[in-house]
Amino acid sequence: MNKNLPPRACVSFPRMVASKKCGWFVTVALLFGLLLLSIWLTPPASAAPFSLFSRKPDGPAIYKQQCVKCHGPAGQGVKDKYNDPLVGDWSVEKLTRYISKTMPEDKPGSCTGPHADAVARYIHDTFYSREARAKTQPARVELVRLTNRQHLLAVADLFRANEEPKVTPGKGLAVVGYKSRTIRREDKVLERNDGKIEFDFGKNRPEWAGEGTNGFALNWTGSVIADESGDYEFVVKTANGVRLWVNDDDKPLIDGSVSSFKGVEHTATLRLIGGRAYPLRLEFFKTSRDPLANVTLLWQPPHGARQVIPARNLAPERAAATFIIATPFPADDSSVGYERGVSVSKEWDEAVTHVAIEAATYVAKNLDRLTRSKPSDKDRTAKVQTFCAELVAKAFRRPLTDEQKNLFVTLPLHSAVKPEDGVKRVVLLTLKSPRFLYLGIAGSTQPDDFTVAERLSFGLWDSLPDAALMKAAGEGKLHTREHVTEQARRMLADARARGKMQYFLHHWLQMNHIEDLTKDPSLFPGFTPEIIADLRTSLNLFLDDVVWTESSDYRRLLLEDDFFVNPRLAQFYGTSANATEDFARVQFDPKQRSGVITHPYLLAAFSYNKSTSPIHRGVFLTRNIVGRALRPPPIAVAFKDADFKPGMTMREKITELTRPQACHSCHAVINPLGFALENFDAVGRFRDKDGNRPVDAAADYTQDDGGIVRLKGARDVAEFAVKSEHAHHAFIEQLFSQVVKQPMLAYGPDVLNQLRLSFVQSGYNVQKLLVDIVTVSALQGHEASASSSKKKL
Amino acid sequence: MNALHRRTFLKQAGLSAATLPFITGLPSLGLAAPARPRQRLVFMFSPNGTIPAAYWPDATGTDFQLKEIMTPLEAFKDRMLVLNGVYNKVKGDGDSHMRGMSCLLTGIELFPGNIMGGGGAPAGWASGISIDQEIKNFLQSKDDTRTRFGSLEFGVGVTDRADPWTRMSYAGANKPIAPISDPYQMYEKLYGQMKDKENLQSVLDTVKGDLQKVGKLISAQDRRLLEEHQALVRQMEQEIATAKQQKLRAAPPTLGEGVADQNDNLPRLSRMQIDLLVNSFVNDMARVATLQFTKSVGGARMNWLDIKEGHHALSHEDKDEAVAAKLVKINKWFAGELAYLVQKLASTPEPGGEGMMLDNTLIVWTNELGRGSSHTLDNIPFLLIGGAPGFTMGRSLKLDKVAHNRLHLALAHAMGHTLTTFGNPSLCAGGPLSLSAAT
Repeated sequence: MNKNLPPRACVSFPRMVASKKCGWFVTVALLFGLLLLSIWLTPPASAAPFSLFSRKPDGPAIYKQQCVKCHGPAGQGVKDKYNDPLVGDWSVEKLTRYISKTMPEDKPGSCTGPHADAVARYIHDTFYSREARAKTQPARVELVRLTNRQHLLAVADLFRANEEPKVTPGKGLAVVGYKSRTIRREDKVLERNDGKIEFDFGKNRPEWAGEGTNGFALNWTGSVIADESGDYEFVVKTANGVRLWVNDDDKPLIDGSVSSFKGVEHTATLRLIGGRAYPLRLEFFKTSRDPLANVTLLWQPPHGARQVIPARNLAPERAAATFIIATPFPADDSSVGYERGVSVSKEWDEAVTHVAIEAATYVAKNLDRLTRSKPSDKDRTAKVQTFCAELVAKAFRRPLTDEQKNLFVTLPLHSAVKPEDGVKRVVLLTLKSPRFLYLGIAGSTQPDDFTVAERLSFGLWDSLPDAALMKAAGEGKLHTREHVTEQARRMLADARARGKMQYFLHHWLQMNHIEDLTKDPSLFPGFTPEIIADLRTSLNLFLDDVVWTESSDYRRLLLEDDFFVNPRLAQFYGTSANATEDFARVQFDPKQRSGVITHPYLLAAFSYNKSTSPIHRGVFLTRNIVGRALRPPPIAVAFKDADFKPGMTMREKITELTRPQACHSCHAVINPLGFALENFDAVGRFRDKDGNRPVDAAADYTQDDGGIVRLKGARDVAEFAVKSEHAHHAFIEQLFSQVVKQPMLAYGPDVLNQLRLSFVQSGYNVQKLLVDIVTVSALQGHEASASSSKKKL
Repeated sequence: MNALHRRTFLKQAGLSAATLPFITGLPSLGLAAPARPRQRLVFMFSPNGTIPAAYWPDATGTDFQLKEIMTPLEAFKDRMLVLNGVYNKVKGDGDSHMRGMSCLLTGIELFPGNIMGGGGAPAGWASGISIDQEIKNFLQSKDDTRTRFGSLEFGVGVTDRADPWTRMSYAGANKPIAPISDPYQMYEKLYGQMKDKENLQSVLDTVKGDLQKVGKLISAQDRRLLEEHQALVRQMEQEIATAKQQKLRAAPPTLGEGVADQNDNLPRLSRMQIDLLVNSFVNDMARVATLQFTKSVGGARMNWLDIKEGHHALSHEDKDEAVAAKLVKINKWFAGELAYLVQKLASTPEPGGEGMMLDNTLIVWTNELGRGSSHTLDNIPFLLIGGAPGFTMGRSLKLDKVAHNRLHLALAHAMGHTLTTFGNPSLCAGGPLSLSAAT
């Protein structure tokens, strides 16, 4: 069985049940769940309408007769009778039981049995259930809790200083060398930067250490920059003494000061947030008796292969340490294509509590540093109080009222015997408060400038507002569209905006789901884990490069014909190798390559273990790149290579497989797009033959209006997409979803068109689009939006 | 290197989103009487050799007189087994102090390495697991002997430096275990969760009230989510209340405030650690413990005994009478700390069982050297106190230059772990030492 992808021939699944438009994301879990099915039947309608059963009681009639006077004709409520709308998540059965027992209020027990069941079913299916509401009610901005990513980042930023040291990645680490094994100032003989730490000194002393008998030592300092979020395994290989500190100035991550001459590999794993710099220090010493001296600093990043930490991830300046919570969380709901905090569970509540305990312990341990005071200081109590008050306000994203200050700071501080327990209680209370955990909790029912600040920072950073933003809100400088846009532009320069952009791009290109790209080694020798890791780096560099240049042109994502390549990739893909060890941009044949859709990382990801998969590639292109909706497949058919005659091309096999009439409506779209990439094998190398037969990458693509477009290859698909309104919409909607995490329709019926207009006018500037999106969402319901809603974006 | 990294800790504690045990549940308290008596084992270490003439009883058998160093233990003479003639025969790299320490519980050679001592070749960490950890792993592998921690490693005044002189417990080759020298840190490890729970409980009411207040600021449609959240908070409150009813068998000891990890505080630190050790045993958090006073080559200045010189420096001069007298005083002080531990165990009833805790606890007091001035690894002072199956106490024995690996085998057997070799197999010839009077 294929390792990379589930077998599928008819492969499009509904993502949004209630939405008119199908999404772009193939739900991996769904696909795997269908592995064993050979025929997928359309499920029956969710519930048979009661009216079909004429002998049964008439639900609508009962409702009208007995319920309307208090609940209103559509369950919306009646003032002074029953104010609240009838909405919830009880099942029909539970509603039935409740009605039987308690309803109607003036005559409980008069509506039971089949009568209660009929009216419960009517209520449930007409306006009560989430599905019913989705059908009948316009989209709205829902109350949401922080997503797991937002939670992680917000806690990290809660303990971050306002001013962070700037670091310059690419310069490697600063190093000081000593002519003896002990680190003494008078023995200092070397100062320089090292791009990477990979040294084999052999049996001799390095030249800079001069003559001597007492060994030598090196002390590297600086920062390490994590590209992606996740677990990083740090590795130090050495025959000598080493200690390594990462993101913790006190306690070494690796203590290998006692060594074995044979050479030891020390490893330790650390969770890091992508796009940020962390302090790193490596101490190395060779004693006089050590026969050899060598040291290498490596890591295995998430999605990566073990490698010497490259210079581009190292900086000579020291960043400040970041508090990163270790608590695992249950996955967020992503049933509508983006992660959002629309539900709470016991597991989530326990994880939240555990994070609060983690953070409380951290604060108690670091109280001296955080409050800049010592227990013996006379003003200790005042300083602790001030620190706590600032912490709570930062966590809640707004100034505290006197009442809140008392409730969240003064009372818990005084409730414990020991001061550190008091501080812990403040932190526990704060991190368990809905004011920290939920977005959009304002001081009143109306959004104010602090709400705007919160929307901006969570939209652009998935994290708390910084001091400048809070200051602007406090001074009433988030009151106009211009103010908001200006802040958004400022915030784009922060590394956290890059992190958010990467998060979006990875979702857009489905890179967040990709775990295993390995291929059959007998068919694709040399496609090693290192190559796969290099490809991901290459794609990340490409995305960053396009999006973070001034033009930030979406079209370049699809049309560029040069990629970042290192010597290893150059050799495997047969392009001109660059002399440098690191990645450099290399021109490919523009007739062959065109933007991300021809990047080997994605081509390999949307392929089988032994062969290409035009259907996976086609579905990805349909939904994510050209932005077309796909209906659920009427039947599911597994692709089995053995079912086909030997010598057939992949294109012929897929054509054969999707020949049934039921497949046509979708595969008339999917197949031509997938076939357009047939010039690339399962590891993304260009080919003109599939087996012994020439590749035919040309096909007729059916547009949504029924028009036919002849696509002759990857570049034609890309050129088609950058001109397609559908494609623009898909890109904008996806970015909107990841940034705002609310349904776009809740922001007005015309938002998509306005955003697209502005996008096109800006020359398809992605950064500008991001600013536009976050501005629209930040001002929703705010008085500034009312006054300027007529203005162009 | 005293505390584990948080992430490592969480992993070892087996935490996942689905089970975060210490928010609500307390660890198993073993309230029911065990099927067979809990057997416990403690290694107490003090450094720099002993003064043989003031330590070894002259007579063997059951009728023997304690010498000066052991006088604090007089009351427990019938509970002790003095083992003269046990040799640390592990050779190889490292000076005597290093091998004395890092081979003491491992019984296996050190790796070659970069730590240069006062003689011999430079060395690294021990190349195998120590007997305390071997027995701990065995006990943790079985349902009826598994405890929350399995083993606890206490230190008293161990310097914050990781090298073969400071580590005697090893989780495996090249894997030294740092003892916890700070009683507050140990307290946090043993009872921190209870404090967390108490703090948590104190804020839950406010959280509920806050949810209610916030609920008023949002629409009825959105309020449902907060109501669900509120129900979860209520549920947690109830679970904590239920968990709290499960009382610990013994309340955590009250530690004095602000006792810094400093030389002059060693007497206080020692008592705090011993109190915690006994308490952890009463609550059945572990069945194996180590109690390490300073380290090999430890230079504690026992000002409280009116001795101004460091312990190690004195130990080289033990042929000088005045110095020897001081060393006797120093070693007698260690014996006094042991007596405090023994007394506590002897006066605490076995939880859920019969007799006293000492009946089911075997304490091994040992040292990295036989004698300080000669740096010999012969005649390591091994004193056993308490009780364990197969050990007939109340005796002084002169054994014939037996390798200490064989003593470790006997200890493992007493704990139910029938090893045939431990450490360097060539030092295990003859099998476990027979320490029962019946044979």
